[in-house]
Amino acid sequence: MRKIDISEKISNTAYIPIAIIAAILMIIPVYILFITSFAVPSDILKPHPDFFITRFTLDHWKDVFLSGNIWPPFKKSFVVATMTTIIAIIIAAPAAYVIARMPSKIKYAVVLSLFFTRMFPDVGIALPIAVEFIKLNLMDTYLGLVMAHLIVNLPFAAWILVGTFETIPKDLEEAALVDGTSKLTALMRIIMPIALPGIAVTAIFVWLNSWNEFTYALYLTISDRTLPLQTYYYVQRGGIFDSATYAAILTIPVMLVTFFLQKYMKSGYLAGAVKG
Amino acid sequence: MAYVNFVKKYKLEIAMVLPLLLYILGFTVYPIIQTITLSFQDQYTKAFTLANYKEIIGKTEFKNAFFNTIALTFISLTLEMTAGLVIALILKRNFRGKGLLRSLMLVPMGVPTLVSGVAMTYIFGLNGYFNELLEKLHLIKLPVDWASGGFKTLLMVSVADMWKVTPLVILLLLAGLESIPDEVYEASNIDGATAWQTFKYVTLPLLKPSITMALILRAIDAFRIFELVLVLAGRATPVISTFAYDEYNNYANAYTSAAASTILLLIIAVFIVSYLKIAGTKEEQ
Repeated sequence: MRKIDISEKISNTAYIPIAIIAAILMIIPVYILFITSFAVPSDILKPHPDFFITRFTLDHWKDVFLSGNIWPPFKKSFVVATMTTIIAIIIAAPAAYVIARMPSKIKYAVVLSLFFTRMFPDVGIALPIAVEFIKLNLMDTYLGLVMAHLIVNLPFAAWILVGTFETIPKDLEEAALVDGTSKLTALMRIIMPIALPGIAVTAIFVWLNSWNEFTYALYLTISDRTLPLQTYYYVQRGGIFDSATYAAILTIPVMLVTFFLQKYMKSGYLAGAVKG
Repeated sequence: MAYVNFVKKYKLEIAMVLPLLLYILGFTVYPIIQTITLSFQDQYTKAFTLANYKEIIGKTEFKNAFFNTIALTFISLTLEMTAGLVIALILKRNFRGKGLLRSLMLVPMGVPTLVSGVAMTYIFGLNGYFNELLEKLHLIKLPVDWASGGFKTLLMVSVADMWKVTPLVILLLLAGLESIPDEVYEASNIDGATAWQTFKYVTLPLLKPSITMALILRAIDAFRIFELVLVLAGRATPVISTFAYDEYNNYANAYTSAAASTILLLIIAVFIVSYLKIAGTKEEQ
């Protein structure tokens, strides 16, 4: 029987408390954000703000919704995210299928280059895009923003989808080809339906990326703000309750989706992905 | 001739990849080349010049931004890797409530980066919750202004960044930990190794590739940090990317902005190359 040493004792007793403290620290900022959006101003705007609030108010939410300042940004964010998602999938899915069927050496190189396009600083890409878009009158437009968000999301979507298509056995389409169907029919009738769940998950991630996107929106906006920019606008003006409410509205769809899609958050998806 | 045959045989495949390829070339590769070109151009004559670089390097803001970027990366990485490793090791154990705890640890992933910055402004504000906590613990008498610049602002941004990305580090390291075979631990157990020895001589060396990968990936992200700094520190504590934005947006100088971006690009390229080297040697093993 080996004896239990001190380091083992420490790790065996301390791991639960450490885990609980860490979990609490992970939730606190979200908690503070939400209570701020529901708090009575006098409970927060004082030298010693209350951590647990007992008085709740819907005033800030009402103000935000009644002000009329939320719908244009909300609509812009929603439409841009949806359009970006549709176009990203239409372009990235077929390409990802082809990449997945390439010889493994070439595939590795292609996937790696896709990955690295997402590593470049956005400020370096957004700058010439903005300069160009001013000339083309694309500032403040939905089209301009969709085009910019595709920069971020096309490589990302293709990168994830290559993984999806790789798991579909090659035999399936070969069998269909032997039966005399064309490549295109085999792809549409056999491969795409099998890949559909993977495509759906990718689409949701793309939608979220676009919904959260900040840098390109900042460069390409003069007056028609997206929801993140509207949040930032109130941060700059020091509107604590406005920014908390806008931030909460921005967060809710993201949180719900991340919670339900947790099992897809494997390290493979992560590196360039979830980080906004 | 072989070329024509290749195109004929694979015309469908080519048609399927081409839009993606063209988009990336036109909207990522070409803009990057434009930025680099811009950085070497004279504002008026468009002739080749190093003046843009000279101008920004002469600016105190840029020196600060450069230093802040490096310092921020260093502090953030230290915090994130330590916390990530500790939590990943805990989540590798089996205990009741592990699933719930794991879900809670991943909460920051469901929060947009901008929003995490907003939440942090409430925590690190002058009358914020962190100052309140420190006062309650009698560690400070007067509230600290975390956003006033200098080391404490860097620390604040690092903590904000740490909160946002530690889940990612946890997942990357957990994947690495789970790939270590149980037999190795059984063997070290039989040899009578202490928990610390097992960690130091078994877990850490076997986890080294995952740690290195996570470090490089996180370093690349840390260099590009933008929203968090913009929201939390504003212009008082610039980093290279916010400096580049500032030059473009507030001074309307695309050329100096491009020069700053190019310097950032160069730093990141160095890290990408080191990633490739490490990924390459991993491939060979």
